[in-house]
Amino acid sequence: MKRSGRFSAAATILAAVGLPFATLGLWSLADRWFFPGLLPQSWGLRAWSYILTSAGGQVVNALWQSVAVAAVTAAAAVLVALPAARALGLYEFRGKDPLSVLLTLPIIVPPLSVAMGLHLWFIRMGLAETFIGVVAVHLTFCLPYAVFVLWGVFANYNPDFESQARSLGASRPAVWLRVMLPMIMPGIVVAGLFAFLLSWSQYLSTLIIGGGRLITLPVLLFALMGSGDRPVAAAVSLVFVMPAFVALLFSARHLGGRSLAGVR
Amino acid sequence: MVHRHGAKAHRFGIWTAIALVLLLATGSAAAEKSWEQILAEARGQTVDWFMWGGSPAVNAYVNGYVAPRVKELYGIELRQGPVKDIAEVVGKLVIEKQAGKHTGGHVDLMWINGENFRTCKRNGLLFGPFARRLPNQRFVDWDRPSVANDFGEPVEGLESPWGSAQVVMIYDQARVTDPPRSIGSLLEWIRRNPGRFAYPAPPDFTGSVFVRHVFYHLNGDIGRWQGGYSRDDLQAAADRTYQTLRELAPSLWRGGKTYPESPVRMNALFADGEIDFAFSYHQAEASRNILDGLFPDTVRTYVFDEGTIANTHFVAIPFNADASTGAMVVANFLLSPEAQLKKADPDVWGDFPAIDPGRLPAEWQARFAARPRGPATLTDGELQARQLPEPPSEILIHLEKGWERHVLKGR
Repeated sequence: MKRSGRFSAAATILAAVGLPFATLGLWSLADRWFFPGLLPQSWGLRAWSYILTSAGGQVVNALWQSVAVAAVTAAAAVLVALPAARALGLYEFRGKDPLSVLLTLPIIVPPLSVAMGLHLWFIRMGLAETFIGVVAVHLTFCLPYAVFVLWGVFANYNPDFESQARSLGASRPAVWLRVMLPMIMPGIVVAGLFAFLLSWSQYLSTLIIGGGRLITLPVLLFALMGSGDRPVAAAVSLVFVMPAFVALLFSARHLGGRSLAGVR
Repeated sequence: MVHRHGAKAHRFGIWTAIALVLLLATGSAAAEKSWEQILAEARGQTVDWFMWGGSPAVNAYVNGYVAPRVKELYGIELRQGPVKDIAEVVGKLVIEKQAGKHTGGHVDLMWINGENFRTCKRNGLLFGPFARRLPNQRFVDWDRPSVANDFGEPVEGLESPWGSAQVVMIYDQARVTDPPRSIGSLLEWIRRNPGRFAYPAPPDFTGSVFVRHVFYHLNGDIGRWQGGYSRDDLQAAADRTYQTLRELAPSLWRGGKTYPESPVRMNALFADGEIDFAFSYHQAEASRNILDGLFPDTVRTYVFDEGTIANTHFVAIPFNADASTGAMVVANFLLSPEAQLKKADPDVWGDFPAIDPGRLPAEWQARFAARPRGPATLTDGELQARQLPEPPSEILIHLEKGWERHVLKGR
């Protein structure tokens, strides 16, 4: 009874997550698929041959650009967010509430205005159309999430463990590396994953700040997703989702129930 | 005294003359670089061409044909920058102009027309005039209103034609045997067959061109709307259009309570058999969709007896383009008979030529006439005999805004 219940729950989850992808897979392999047919009337590789051959070079370049930008953005987001979240989570100080509102601003203000406004400054500072500039503009959107995730972790964090280690003679770096880091690791993974995925899907800000220099996957592919050529749109969506999915799987072992305990 | 004064005047005259000569020499060198100089300068440049990237056919033509050819012929590295909407790039240029970035811009070439061209021209975002300096512009009939004016905005050499588009009606002859041949009879057909017609909601471009056809139909004498009409004329004519469309709404798909948000959605409804017509601002899109398996083989196209709206699309070079000479060479290649014929091949893209095949050497004329057309596409003759010009952007915007207020919100 209990086993079958668990089985049906697992099946439901699998179907809910898997079915949309199954449709994408079917569409990407369809040659003709008209209304009454439950399955495509004929199959073909037109969409995949476009993605892999005609646009293959562009896709591979864009894939690397995206991975590089998203990875650097995620690392930077965690590094910057860590001290901020520790302060917010462990200490009480004046102006904490206004500060948290300020932190969410880049998410609340429309991304177009943020990117357009920053563009003007980035040109003056020589950051426009550079890798650093694109990472910086992605950070404005990723940092709030990273800070809030880690803030939750530190709110449930007991600094007494650190004092204990100190009293037993551990150096400050050793305390960070061997006490704090293992305890907040799940939070770091979640924060990094959030930042990675957000950066991964940035379109407009990459286009405006990156100009012609940085063509990431969204810049290359988003136009095709709305093109109405369903097989190509489906194949493109799969190409776009897969690496993000791999990142998710990679971090999945850190995402057990216990790991999320600290996340509010 | 007089003598000395004379000598001074004389010397002054010499210096002015020298200065003038120098000025003229440098001035004309900058303005009138020969085409050979331009070709030499362009060699080795990288040209970043920004364009709407939503069509695999267009992307494949640009990356799979144009890029290797300009590399081979002129030593130019062509990179495509695919975007969802070229207006995003125009917005970026506005900011760059504000920030005083007058050189070293990374957008070298843009695929634009209509309102984006108008925005660029009015804000001084364009390099040129350059179009008349391209050797291949001799194949372009600049006297055609749809080439000399881009939606009522004089082109004045600030953009170079690339292709032309004309609205065609799309139907499935397996379902509809006798499609209505005029806008008036189409409106009548919609009333008699409720729920079987839809148009994308303006400001979608395809939806808004349907509204302009109705506008032309109700207000006669199309020449009047190219300019020289009064504000009141336009308001009255627009009101008549909204009135008719409001009355038509209950006979549309889903009773006009909702509209397809894009031509893509309309095409899907048509392919799924929910509606009996689609229409496209692309003469060969139906043939293309048959080839791609998106439409059944029995789909055909036609134009109205009184004509359908047509326009030209162009490429332009931004004011701060890094590789403006390379961009000119690419623009010139795009106008070559070779590139235009390749582009017109329905297996490649099927976009109609911007050049006038009648101006080509006899051998190329024959090749244009003999090109494969696709099952649903009309001949050049059938199309070009029935073309209506686009009205100025002002009318277009007026109708789009008014449609939302008076038809969609039903007041």
